[in-house]
Amino acid sequence: MSTPSPARPARPARRWAGRVPRALGLALLVAVAVVLGTGLGRVTVPPGDVLGALWRGVTGHELVGSDVIVWQIRLPRVVMGLLVGAALSMSGGAFQGVFRNPLADPYLLGVASGSALGATVAVVLNWPRAVIPVAALVCALGAVALTLVLAREGRRFPPTRLILSGVVIGSVLSALSTALILRGQDRARLVLSYTLGDLGFSGWHDVATVLPYVAVGGGLLLLLSRALDTLQLGDLTARSLGVPVERLRLLVVVSASVATAGAVAYVGIIGFVGLIVPHIARLAFGAGHRTLLLTSAVLGGAGLVLADLLARTTVLSQVGIVTTLLGGPFFLWLLRSQRD
Amino acid sequence: MKILTLTTILSVTLAGTAAATAYPLTLTDDLARKVTVKAEPMRIVSMVPSTSETVCALGLCDRLVGVDQYSDYPAQLAKVTKVGDLYTPNIEAIVAARPDLVLVSKYSKLDGPLTQAGITVVAVNPETYDEVFSKILILGKVVNREVAAKALVTTMARDIAKTEVLTRAAPTKPTAYFEIDPTPYSIGPKSFMGVLLTKAGAQNIIPESMGDFPKVDPEFIVKANPQLMLGLDAKTAAARPGWATLNAVKSGRVIALPADLSSNLSRPGPRLPAALRALAKLIHPELFR
Repeated sequence: MSTPSPARPARPARRWAGRVPRALGLALLVAVAVVLGTGLGRVTVPPGDVLGALWRGVTGHELVGSDVIVWQIRLPRVVMGLLVGAALSMSGGAFQGVFRNPLADPYLLGVASGSALGATVAVVLNWPRAVIPVAALVCALGAVALTLVLAREGRRFPPTRLILSGVVIGSVLSALSTALILRGQDRARLVLSYTLGDLGFSGWHDVATVLPYVAVGGGLLLLLSRALDTLQLGDLTARSLGVPVERLRLLVVVSASVATAGAVAYVGIIGFVGLIVPHIARLAFGAGHRTLLLTSAVLGGAGLVLADLLARTTVLSQVGIVTTLLGGPFFLWLLRSQRD
Repeated sequence: MKILTLTTILSVTLAGTAAATAYPLTLTDDLARKVTVKAEPMRIVSMVPSTSETVCALGLCDRLVGVDQYSDYPAQLAKVTKVGDLYTPNIEAIVAARPDLVLVSKYSKLDGPLTQAGITVVAVNPETYDEVFSKILILGKVVNREVAAKALVTTMARDIAKTEVLTRAAPTKPTAYFEIDPTPYSIGPKSFMGVLLTKAGAQNIIPESMGDFPKVDPEFIVKANPQLMLGLDAKTAAARPGWATLNAVKSGRVIALPADLSSNLSRPGPRLPAALRALAKLIHPELFR
C-alpha cells in the first residue's frame, strides 16, 4: 500500500503556459462525451436528426419522430451523468483530502448503504416509485448523521473514529437491507438494480431535482478548497495557521455527503468513480484542491457519460457495472505504477 | 406409413404406461441428481407454489404436510404448515413434518442437508412453456398419479386451445410491451410468460435476440412505440421521460395487472390456462363479450 504522496502546494502556475491547453483539453473531453452520449444509443438516430432534435427542444418547437428519444431520454441521461459523475468525483477528492487517505471515497460515512436501505424499504413496502429517491436521500443523510454522532469526541471528529464509525454504520445498514430483500424476494431485482447504479430513467425533472444538491455541496467544497490545502500539512500546522480544523472537517464531510446523497438517491450506487477520478486528476493536474476538485468534476462527469454509453450499448446494461469492471483493474494499475 | 408410425408413437406415449408407478422409482431430477423414491409418497413438502398447486390438482392436497410461505392456492393450503421459502427455508420445520418427499426447484440448497437427514428430495423445475406440461407428468409419476397427471395435461391443453382459437381470429394483434419490473425488465418471446403473451393475441416488441428476461433501454421502448403496455399503471408510464406521447399512453392502453393475475402468470402450474384467458381478456376484451 503506498502512502499518500505529500501534497505539493499548488504550483504558482506559469500563468498561461500550462492552463489554457489543459482547460481546452477538458472542455473538448466534455464535448466529446456529450456528443457521443447524445448521438449514440440503442436506437440509431442520424447526426442531422440529433441536431434537429436539440434545436427543436431548445426553441420549444414540437418534437417530431426520434426527437423524443434524443431530447427527453438521451440528453437528460447525459446531463445526469455529468452531474452525478461530478458530484461523486468532487466528493471523493474532498474526502481523500480531509482524511489524508488515498483510499477514501464518497461512501466512506455510510451514504451508500444508507441510500440503499432507504430504497430497499421503499421498494419492499411497495411505495410509489417517485418516493424511492426521497427515501434514499433521507436515509443516506440519516446514516451520515449517525456516523458523525458515533464518531464525535466532545467537539472533535477524529478521522480514524469517523472512518471506523462509517464502516460500522455501513455494515449494519447493509445487513438490514439484506434482511428486507430476503423478505420481499419478488422485488429483489429492483433493489439489486439500484445498488448497481443506473441512469436509465433520468428525465429533466430528475436532473432538476439533483442539481441543487450537487451545486450546493460542490460549491461549498470549492469554497473550502484553500483550507483543504492547508490541512494537508497536518492538523497541528493547519491549526497554527488559523484553520478551524474540526469545523472544516465537519463542513467538508457534510458538503460532500450532501452532494453524493443527492446524486445517488436518483441513480443508485455507482462505484469506483469517486475513488479513482481524483487520483487521475491529481496525476494529471496536480494536487492543489481547487484545481483538483474542478478537474475531478469535469473528468468524472465526462467519464460517467462515456461509461453509461458503454453500458447501454452493450450487454453490461448498467453504468455501475461498467464503472466497477473498468475501475477495479484501472485502480490496481494506478497503484502499481505509482512509485513511492 | 410415416403418419402411421407417428400416430403409433403418440398413442403409445399418451396411453403409454399410465398404470401405477412401480417403486422404487429412480429418476434424474432437475438438479441432475439421480434420485430414488422408495415408495409412494404419503407425506409431501412442497417448496414451490406452482408445485403445490400441481400436487393439489392431482388430488393429493391432503398429503401436503408442509408448503413454502408463498403457496397460497388452492385455499385449503392456508391450513398447511408453512416452512419458510425456497431461499430461506426452515429446515427444522421441514424435518419436523416427517416428510417422505420434499419437492424443490433447482434454486434451493435444500437437497444437501435434507438428503443427509435421510429425506428424499426431488427438484422439479418448469421454466419454459413446454416444461409446464412435461414436469406435471413427471410429478405425476413420482407421486403415483400418472393417470390424473395425463388427464390434467389434456384438460389444460384443451382450455388453452379454446382461448387460442379466439385470439387467432382477432382481426388485429396489438404490439405490446410487458413490464415485469420497473427498472425496466421485460420478457422475451421464448420465455414462459412471453409465450403466453403471444398466445393471448399480442405482438411482443422484444425480439428473441434480447433473451428471456432482458433489461430494456427505455429508448428501445419509445422507438418501438407499442400500442399496449402491460404490467404498469398509466400514471407511471406517463411520468417517464418521453413516454407521454407514446401510442399506448395516449390511447389509454396501459394496463396494470390485477395482483392475482400477475401471481398466476408467473406460476408455471395448473392454472396456466386461466392465466392465459385472463391475459387475453385484457388484450382483446372485444373477443370475450
